[in-house]
Amino acid sequence: MGNSTDSGKKSKVGKFFSGVGYDLKEIGLTFTQGDWKTKVSYLIMGFGPIMRRQFLRGIAFLAAEALFILYLVKFGWKYLQDIGTLGTVARVMNDDGTISYNDNSFLILLYGLLTIIIIGIFLFVWRMNVRENRNEEKLLAAGKPLSTAKKDLYSLLDSQFDKTLLALPVLGIFVFTVLPIIFMICIAFTDYDANHQPPANLFTWVGLENFKNLFSFGTTGLGSTFLTVLAWTLIWAFFATFLTYFCGMGVAIMINKKGIKFKKLWRTILVMTIAVPQFVSLLYVYKMFANDGLVNSYLLKWGWISSRIPFWSDPMLAKVMIILINLWIGIPYTMLITTGLLMNIPDDLYESAKIDGASGFQMFKSITLPYMLFVTGPFLLTQFTGNLNNFNVIYLLTQGGPQSMKLSNKAGYTDLLVTWLYKMTVDDTNYRMAAVLGIMIFVVTAVISLVVYNMLPSVKDEEGFQ
Amino acid sequence: MKKKVLATLLAAVMTAGCLAGCGGGDGAADAPAADAPAADDSAEAPAADDSAEAPADDAAAAEPVEYGSGNITIWVAENVVDFTKEQTDAFFAANPDMAGYTVTVEPVGEGDAAGNMLTDVEGGADMYGFAQDQITRLVSAGALAPLTGANAEFVTSQNDAGAASAAVVGDTTYAYPMTSDNGYFLYYDKSVVTDPSSLEKIVADCEAAGKNFYMEINSGWYQPAFFFATGCTLTYDTDSDGNFTACNIDYASDKGVVALKEIIELASSSAFQNGSSVDNGTNIGAIVDGTWDSGSAQAIFGENYACAKLPSFEGSDGNTYQMSGFGGFKLLGIKPQEDAGKLAVCHALAQYLTGADVQLARYNAVGWGPSNTTAQQDDAVKSDVALSALAEQLALTIPQGNYPGDYWTLATSLGDDVISKTLSTSSTDDELMTALQSFQDTCISYAQ
Amino acid sequence: MGLKAKRKLGNTITYIVLVIISVIWLFPFVCLFLQSLRSYNEAGGGMVEYLLPKQFSLDSYIFLFSQDSKFVRWYLNTLIIACFVALFQTIVVLCVSYALSRMRFKGRTFLMRFWLILGMFPGFLTMICLYFLLKQFHLTQAGAIPGLILISVASSGMGYYVTKGYFDTIPKALDEAARIDGASRARVFLTMIIPMSKPIIIYAALVAFMAPWCDYVFASYVAFGYTDSYNVAVAMQNWVWTNDYQGYFTRFCAGGMLVAVPVTILFICLQKYYVEGVTGGAVKG
Repeated sequence: MGNSTDSGKKSKVGKFFSGVGYDLKEIGLTFTQGDWKTKVSYLIMGFGPIMRRQFLRGIAFLAAEALFILYLVKFGWKYLQDIGTLGTVARVMNDDGTISYNDNSFLILLYGLLTIIIIGIFLFVWRMNVRENRNEEKLLAAGKPLSTAKKDLYSLLDSQFDKTLLALPVLGIFVFTVLPIIFMICIAFTDYDANHQPPANLFTWVGLENFKNLFSFGTTGLGSTFLTVLAWTLIWAFFATFLTYFCGMGVAIMINKKGIKFKKLWRTILVMTIAVPQFVSLLYVYKMFANDGLVNSYLLKWGWISSRIPFWSDPMLAKVMIILINLWIGIPYTMLITTGLLMNIPDDLYESAKIDGASGFQMFKSITLPYMLFVTGPFLLTQFTGNLNNFNVIYLLTQGGPQSMKLSNKAGYTDLLVTWLYKMTVDDTNYRMAAVLGIMIFVVTAVISLVVYNMLPSVKDEEGFQ
Repeated sequence: MKKKVLATLLAAVMTAGCLAGCGGGDGAADAPAADAPAADDSAEAPAADDSAEAPADDAAAAEPVEYGSGNITIWVAENVVDFTKEQTDAFFAANPDMAGYTVTVEPVGEGDAAGNMLTDVEGGADMYGFAQDQITRLVSAGALAPLTGANAEFVTSQNDAGAASAAVVGDTTYAYPMTSDNGYFLYYDKSVVTDPSSLEKIVADCEAAGKNFYMEINSGWYQPAFFFATGCTLTYDTDSDGNFTACNIDYASDKGVVALKEIIELASSSAFQNGSSVDNGTNIGAIVDGTWDSGSAQAIFGENYACAKLPSFEGSDGNTYQMSGFGGFKLLGIKPQEDAGKLAVCHALAQYLTGADVQLARYNAVGWGPSNTTAQQDDAVKSDVALSALAEQLALTIPQGNYPGDYWTLATSLGDDVISKTLSTSSTDDELMTALQSFQDTCISYAQ
Repeated sequence: MGLKAKRKLGNTITYIVLVIISVIWLFPFVCLFLQSLRSYNEAGGGMVEYLLPKQFSLDSYIFLFSQDSKFVRWYLNTLIIACFVALFQTIVVLCVSYALSRMRFKGRTFLMRFWLILGMFPGFLTMICLYFLLKQFHLTQAGAIPGLILISVASSGMGYYVTKGYFDTIPKALDEAARIDGASRARVFLTMIIPMSKPIIIYAALVAFMAPWCDYVFASYVAFGYTDSYNVAVAMQNWVWTNDYQGYFTRFCAGGMLVAVPVTILFICLQKYYVEGVTGGAVKG
């Protein structure tokens, strides 16, 4: 299996390079074989189409080039040229007590990256411009008519409707997801932290220093803390996913049981936890279980305990509490999902099992469970990766605490990687390490998703259960 | 396939358009701000003469500036928002030459204000209240405008010595002291606690009455009450840029072990609760807290409301130690400004808001203890129960200097280790010493 | 007889378990409700360690609707954000889902894989960058409401799975027939697919509507101390976590009730669609 994926990758890389080679060849051929209009189009985009009376396309190309040059001259270039240093002139204090802000490393990096990407997009558009010329020439040579502007526009509602539908969403994702992620990946290689904060101070490239820090196990390094947090993150995700899953299924089976009345009422009661915003319900639950909270004081009053239970201050107990309270949050979801699926299991499977003398548990083990696992495999995977990044439950309950001298950089025993990342970002403005941590979270999520996905029965054997 | 041109083009054009647009927008926004004072020259000419009369504007008077116009944002704690609004209105009524400015007062607590300023100086408030312990972080992030000449003079001449020194980093003054009540002492219920002078007795009383004794031992602010009591030190030296140059600490010593043992002892009591907020506490018998909670404490204790300096405790070595701690100050800072006129207005307003009259008015409105020496002499201030307890306690504390942000985290970790029983009554002296040694080493590592 | 008795016993046990579960699930909400009715005269509105208020009053609710509090404004802010996000996000998701479900174009699988990979980066990672991006567009502080709407809507295209899964179940033959009759893709989408997708549209809108009520992290970042732009979550979370707000515990509970009750009622009314969407999504993966 490993081999086949390897060769798959190789062939993809190969394809890419041969694609580039083919592209370069075609660009060359188009130039040598093309007429003068095509040749001019290499410099003035859209010249060819305009000359061939393809005004809409030609002007679009021309406008793209004009805008690109305008962007570069007016805006992009001044950031791009500093991207190697991320700025050299810091803020200065004037004699009259005012200040003048100069280079802003943050904006230099952000707009520098944007400019690089826009140059990339421009090259792509330029490539399309070349191909457009070639195609037009070919069509003309074959004596066929060129497309009209009206047809072009109509196609955007028909055969090219995907472009219309996707243009804005893709642009939105690019500006507000892709660009920030690339930016933050770059931050992992800089010293952007509390001591190097724009606009007052500059930050600059530091290579792999931050990664070394994360994996250094000396007294100042984050290595052991990182491993502790990572281990708990994985343990948490495992329990949070599977306990919720099985308990949720159990509740669903109970509600679905023949002869149980008020099915809708039970379901509605449970579903309320989904509807009530978590910051209300979880913050209240946190207060309830606090050392001086409702639960402890009633237990004391009734004489059930002699000393208060340290629900949140004992590391082990806090972890157990978080997992239990997550059940409170998670069971309703799984209950809803499994209810529908359980009804899909054909009754005659159970009937025949009953005739064979199977007990309720045996039936669950050999019929219900395999079916459910098969059908909900992908769901479990997304739940697992979701739990790896389950910020709300942890942060609203313990804020990652209790802390310990054994852990560094504000990490606590119940911190997940993502809550630790949050603390670094918001409390410490330690963006350099936060970025490294973010990359690690990505790696962990990606590896787990990839490995588990390939193990899923429903992926391995699509027809398996039918 | 060809028409993918259009889609991509659309995307490219829009992106470029947006960004070029907003880039241009920024430039345009900057330009008028820079031009404004010049353009207003003629219109506000008479204002220049008035500025000499403005109470605290000596610096500006030497070199007359046009104040221009704009908006000044002020971040203060929630309970003084209305008060601050009234006072700024009064300020602008008294200084019509500065009336080109409007003021927005927002409730952003001291902790959040500092955090926000560190995140984005440009987006932050022009003036903001913060607790003294944040000053170095704010200086090194470039979020505080230095005070020079007459402005710095104002701080030293008007405030008590401790408050004035709290506003200094290295040898530069960076903020205006607003209160000198940022310390803690004991609030207690007279019907529960019979003798507030001994920690053991307070705890025993609370245990007997089934009440809680609150102290936030996992906070770097309250924790030193024990360590300083036994004679430990923890201070940092800083330079003018807010960098920490040296750490003076001797927690890893016999004195430190005695203090840590006392913390552990306290935490092992069934009456002990970790916390320092009257409102988040329940069933309170006594609480170590500051003046900002005096209203809530009065509401909760009713006629049994009482205050005292912190108690003393009997250490494991048999000696009796008086609990100490930090005495700190709340400061009003000004963000570095690009516009000289606005900067002058900010300074004048800050001096007004931290002047004797307003500090006294603030005390009367919300009970904050003044740092201004004149206001401190007021009879009402002198006779305030909470403030006198605080004053008694402050005599026993060390003025809080500058501490790196990481120190507070580290102190929380040490406290959490005690609360979670990682360090417990069964820990040996060696274990405690190891923990303190690691604490000390880490503290030292924060200073370069 | 034996079998019947056994079944009866089994059902009784199930009922008991269900009742216990219901109590556990409802208990925090009951507490929340009771605390919201506690008078300021007890502990000044702070925490208490008992359940039943000794003195009932509407103090906290009156405060929230009084001039002293911007709660109504924060509530409206959240409502505005939720409505706009629900509207635009649903539109975006429908567009993306239709394109990915019905059209086959170059880069389709690449786009889907790329988005899948993007989704593996933690959202908090880019928070600081998004803040400064929004600031460049002047969409922080005073402009935080449109800023938050923009951010939620801009990235919503990646959450197409459930809707696409639903579209996949609508037979393609319907499209083909309409297209043979000369209808364009756009026409098919607008006049056939959308009317047939009512359940999934309601599901998408409901999920989008509920998210802003819980956004306290990014919303507080973007509002950046500008209180007029807070949403309820940011404001109420401040009451609990910062020491500035003395005696706000009962107000927090009251605010919590005011947020929870309408959202819960809406949710329970549309529960059917929610279950459909969630189940479909889970099976499709």
